Amino acid sequence: MQRSTLFIQGDRGLYRLHPLSKLAITGFLLVAAGTAPNLSLLLLGYLLLLLPLAVWSGLLHPFLKSSLLVITPFVISLAVIQGFFTPGQIILLQLGPFTFTLEGLLSGLTVAGRILLALGGTLLLMLSTRPDHLMLSLTQHGLPSSLAYIVLTSLQIFPRFQDRARVIMDAQQARGLEMRVNPLKRMRLLVPLMGPLILGSIVDVEERAMALEARAFSRSGPKSSLIVLRDSFPQRALRGLLLLGMLSLIAWRIWAVFSL
Amino acid sequence: MRLRWENISFTYPTGVRALDDVDLTIASGELVAIVGENGAGKTTLVKLLNGLLRPDQGEVWVGDWNAAEHSTAELAARVGFLFQNPDEQLFERTVRREVAFGPRNLGMTEKKIRSQVNAALKAVGLDAQAERHPYDLPVSDRKMLTLAACLAMDDPVLVLDEPSIGQDAAGRARIGRILRDLHTMGRTLLLITHDLDFCAEYAQRVVVMADGHILADGPAAQVLAQNEVLERAAIIPPQLVRLAQGLGLPSMPLNVRDFVRVYSAWRRKKKKH
Amino acid sequence: MITVKGFSYWYPGEEEPALEKIDLTIPQGQFCGVVGANGAGKSTLCSALSGFVPHFFHGEFEGEVRIDKHMVAQTPLGELAGEVGLVFQNPFNQIGGARFTVREEIAFGLENLGLSKKEMETRIAEVLDLVGIEELADRSPFALSGGQQQRVALASILAMQPKVLVLDEPTAQLDPRSTEDVFSALRGLVQRAETTVVMVEHKLEWLADFVDRVIALDRGRIELDDSPTKVLSSPRMVKMGIGRTQYTETAAAAKRGKLKLRPKILPVTLDQARTFFR
Repeated sequence: MQRSTLFIQGDRGLYRLHPLSKLAITGFLLVAAGTAPNLSLLLLGYLLLLLPLAVWSGLLHPFLKSSLLVITPFVISLAVIQGFFTPGQIILLQLGPFTFTLEGLLSGLTVAGRILLALGGTLLLMLSTRPDHLMLSLTQHGLPSSLAYIVLTSLQIFPRFQDRARVIMDAQQARGLEMRVNPLKRMRLLVPLMGPLILGSIVDVEERAMALEARAFSRSGPKSSLIVLRDSFPQRALRGLLLLGMLSLIAWRIWAVFSL
Repeated sequence: MRLRWENISFTYPTGVRALDDVDLTIASGELVAIVGENGAGKTTLVKLLNGLLRPDQGEVWVGDWNAAEHSTAELAARVGFLFQNPDEQLFERTVRREVAFGPRNLGMTEKKIRSQVNAALKAVGLDAQAERHPYDLPVSDRKMLTLAACLAMDDPVLVLDEPSIGQDAAGRARIGRILRDLHTMGRTLLLITHDLDFCAEYAQRVVVMADGHILADGPAAQVLAQNEVLERAAIIPPQLVRLAQGLGLPSMPLNVRDFVRVYSAWRRKKKKH
Repeated sequence: MITVKGFSYWYPGEEEPALEKIDLTIPQGQFCGVVGANGAGKSTLCSALSGFVPHFFHGEFEGEVRIDKHMVAQTPLGELAGEVGLVFQNPFNQIGGARFTVREEIAFGLENLGLSKKEMETRIAEVLDLVGIEELADRSPFALSGGQQQRVALASILAMQPKVLVLDEPTAQLDPRSTEDVFSALRGLVQRAETTVVMVEHKLEWLADFVDRVIALDRGRIELDDSPTKVLSSPRMVKMGIGRTQYTETAAAAKRGKLKLRPKILPVTLDQARTFFR
């Protein structure tokens, strides 16, 4: 399961917080990203909230690396698109019928800034939180355990599918299926490659369901936990404040829209 | 078709050195078993034959073809490969279409495909199930189906990876018969197996592998009696060999008939003294 | 104690019963082997003893299956799981807890049973020792070999302390070394605990050294039910498509060859064979 999660081991800063606290921080950052009125506030959020959190947890390097890999492509393409298609007065570049304006650029950067803050917050959560701990904290607060199980096993599915897909490719090539074909012929490859992947997985699913039953998964009654998640009053208070903060920001934004 | 591995080394991307300067020649028409525990390098060795893996060093020859110059699909015309898990290749709506997949890829005429498919289904005992959906069959039959799919391709070389797993006595006997028939027809056969009793009964020659090296290579009767080698390779000798050694018989019988013969002769000799 | 009375079962939509009029009593603590050709009903019997028939596979049935005071057909699977443990062939599919370490994987079933953290830790330590996998405790279950995963699956079930353990060809997909590891773990279990064990196995030469009793199934019916030596040496095993060990076959061939051999009963193990042929 480690192969498909972003989680990195650590013990400082965010790692010491209860998963729900981290979820609340991320939630707040998401709302802030959506409601901030201008680019400077977004950048301020990134610099004064996200980066310090990353440094505090010893995650600055992986955070910046993942940000660059994941977020940069979004940022650049959005800035460019917005720049070309938002109406404005100050023209920076003219390419045939398309005008790239300063207002457009700023608009693009603002959208990019929102994404940077939102994805950045989510990234921090995933880097510092074990998915099973997060799911445990949610089930302890009412999330059905079957739902939590589905989320966790979905994370396992991708590497497993990848492995199986590779073996299936080998097997079908060994039966003479030529893979080096032009793009038009590629569609023909779909059935012999996807077929076993899907059908074979269905066979597996029945056995896995049996294995779950054998571990009393469907037993009625409370479930306990080997893992103990440490919580504290200050954290609960923080979560309350963050929730309040989120609601306030949303309320303020709605008021701002209606008062125009 | 002659098979040759020349000074082969192979390391997986994970860093595991699966084969270390391995050298092996298999003559056309031989029936060779490759034994050793998981991780010894057996599967890696045979996957080099049809290009599923490419060696870091050395050359692999399939007849007069250098494997490096051909894709896996091309090599499939010479090397048939039976994989362990049928659910990682079955996808057609009927058993018949499934068996026809390989032959069709190889460009056989419709007439030839039909006769190959019928013969293959008959050999594995699935001719009555030809119109059923592969996944409606129990897993042991799905394994037989993949064997049929492999046989239908009519390759001069066949590699079988653990064919007897999950089969009952009747299934094993059937697979053994198929091996013998193919051997009579002159095919070159490579058998990877953990089942030493199956190996003893059908293999002419046994290659023992451990840690990416070949520890022993020779006639089955000889190799299967080399206890120290087998122990190093974490293999348990076949039942008859253990019994023969336990009784102190002069030679190693590999099947029931041979055992009775060797034993009777030995008993008569003992009685004389 | 397991009591099966006149039990017949039909998979949904099937005309022919997969099990027919099974009568069986297995006392607490017995180690019972089950053999049969493919399709004889061995897996169905395992499912019937662990409640997957009828609760998981549905279908029709007659007669009753009782585990101690539980009527299997009337006890929900969630409750039965604590009483009857099931281990099957595919090691990978049994690693199901979505957990990071073996320790947590073993805890999965115990958490479902609602045990206290202290109790869980005690049982986990016990079972790691019993099955011989202490060195795997902090490793990811997905990074293990098939044999190791199978032992983790066994440990996970044993930690739930079932009264009955059902194993459906647990070593079918394992190499000889892993097979030996699994059988050692079972040997340890039998020595230490009063668990009733029912094991389906094709590797007949292993079976004789372990079990107190062998049941042979053919087309859904019990055809043989006796001591290992009597069942495994019976010529009916060949007729039913199950076969016999090489030891037995050689002895039978030798007898046919009119060699003068004293013992009447055919051997089923190496030691018995050595005595037979001396």
